[in-house]
Amino acid sequence: MELVIALGMNGIVWGLIIALIALGLSIIFGLLDIINIAHGDFFMVGTVLAWFVLDTTGNYWLAFLIVPIIGFAMGVVIEYTVIQPIKNAAALSIVATFGLSIILQEGVRATFGAAPTRLVPPIQSTIQMFGLEYEVYRLFAAAVSIAAILLFFGFLHRTKMGTWMRAVRYDPETATAMGIPARKIYMITFALGFAMAALGGVVAAPITTVDFQAGVDILPFCFMAVIIGGLGNLEGTVAAAVMLAFFEGVMASFADPTIARIGSLCLMSIVLLIRPHGIFAGATR
Amino acid sequence: MLELVDVHAHYGKVHVLQGSSLRVEDGETVALLGRNGVGKTTTLKTIMGLVPASGGAVVFNGTDLTKIAPHRIPGQGIGYVPQGRGIFPTLSVLENLEIGLPKSPPPEVMDHVFERFPRLKERLGQSGGTLSGGEQQMLAIARCLVLKPRLLILDEPTEGIMPILVQDIRREIAAVNKAGVSILLVEQNIKTALKLCSRIYIMEKGAVVHEARAEDLKDDKDTLHRYLGVTI
Repeated sequence: MELVIALGMNGIVWGLIIALIALGLSIIFGLLDIINIAHGDFFMVGTVLAWFVLDTTGNYWLAFLIVPIIGFAMGVVIEYTVIQPIKNAAALSIVATFGLSIILQEGVRATFGAAPTRLVPPIQSTIQMFGLEYEVYRLFAAAVSIAAILLFFGFLHRTKMGTWMRAVRYDPETATAMGIPARKIYMITFALGFAMAALGGVVAAPITTVDFQAGVDILPFCFMAVIIGGLGNLEGTVAAAVMLAFFEGVMASFADPTIARIGSLCLMSIVLLIRPHGIFAGATR
Repeated sequence: MLELVDVHAHYGKVHVLQGSSLRVEDGETVALLGRNGVGKTTTLKTIMGLVPASGGAVVFNGTDLTKIAPHRIPGQGIGYVPQGRGIFPTLSVLENLEIGLPKSPPPEVMDHVFERFPRLKERLGQSGGTLSGGEQQMLAIARCLVLKPRLLILDEPTEGIMPILVQDIRREIAAVNKAGVSILLVEQNIKTALKLCSRIYIMEKGAVVHEARAEDLKDDKDTLHRYLGVTI
């Protein structure tokens, strides 16, 4: 029973981190019509940069500040060089971002090496919860993810830039005719998506493996959350990510992780059979 | 104020605007009429930079609009009410109203807008998509007025509106014009266009082919029938 609780809690923590990353995927898809195959690698870049910051400064906390900023800057450059030229050719986005994914992976491998690394969590204490000794860092990771998700929604619904993003997402032509710089909004959205995935990488690095292929594993999970939550439904994406990770975590306490992943895929198939547009379809905002 | 000189525009390889020319003077109300698909909406979109001009010039108060970024055109003093109203349905009425400004407008601007459209004030927190067609049209016009335009461009403002509300919208457009804002109107409802406008342009096959004073066109049954297929 303790194992079920532990893996269930790990699942929720992991689900919140995934939600943070998948939100970026969802806004990029919703606004730019880009199926971003490289999004998992944005997460991977975040984990590697977090390790690099720790390695060079000895202070992991700095990574929480520096890495999202670097991610945002990389997002600006990638949007300008890769995404902008294929705007209005959505089908090309898969090929272009697949190429980008390879470039990021090989770039990291060439720079930082291919050997997977594990980081020591910056908080190493444990706390008594539900009869378990639970890692405080995991609770911290959940809290940071929740805070980042709330900040993101606050930004989207309480700031002018967020309102402009929602307007451009719905009707870029009319938004432009109202004086909104749609081009700039596309760039900021893509960069924000990268920054969120990179922050997810910083949060997750101490509880996962830092590896140039870390994004390959996380990408399908993000897509599943986006699809089950309802394409373009941001609140749905968050809920689906947490539910899926919890489900997979609990499953993993009974079965092999591969079987748990198959279970998640079966769950997604069932959801799509019953609600083809996702559980939260129709509630898009 | 606004002058289109031999404007050409393409959708891919399709040559949609084939040398369109027209002008709108200060304080004037002008209509652009024509059958479906002759390029009226494309003309308006070209003015707003939403369809790039492939030739000619769109000059507004001495500035060639084809040379500036589309999102900077409203800032030149042009408000645009697109066909279908272009309300953002998931944004609140207030968010829709303030969408074109980087900050909230001064209270006197909002007071002026609410004086003209009191129903919007009652619905500020409501989503734009929950408004009726007539209210959405009012919101689309009000959203432009917040930007204090000198020229208001409207693409079929009475399309899909309950007949009982068409009169209201017509009255509001006339009031906006009376307040000193020039109007360029694309309208399928010929009666509305003739009532509101002093001058009429008629388009055919991507170009303006006829210009007349509204009072003259009312009596010109031959032209109305030939270009618009209507008899008043």
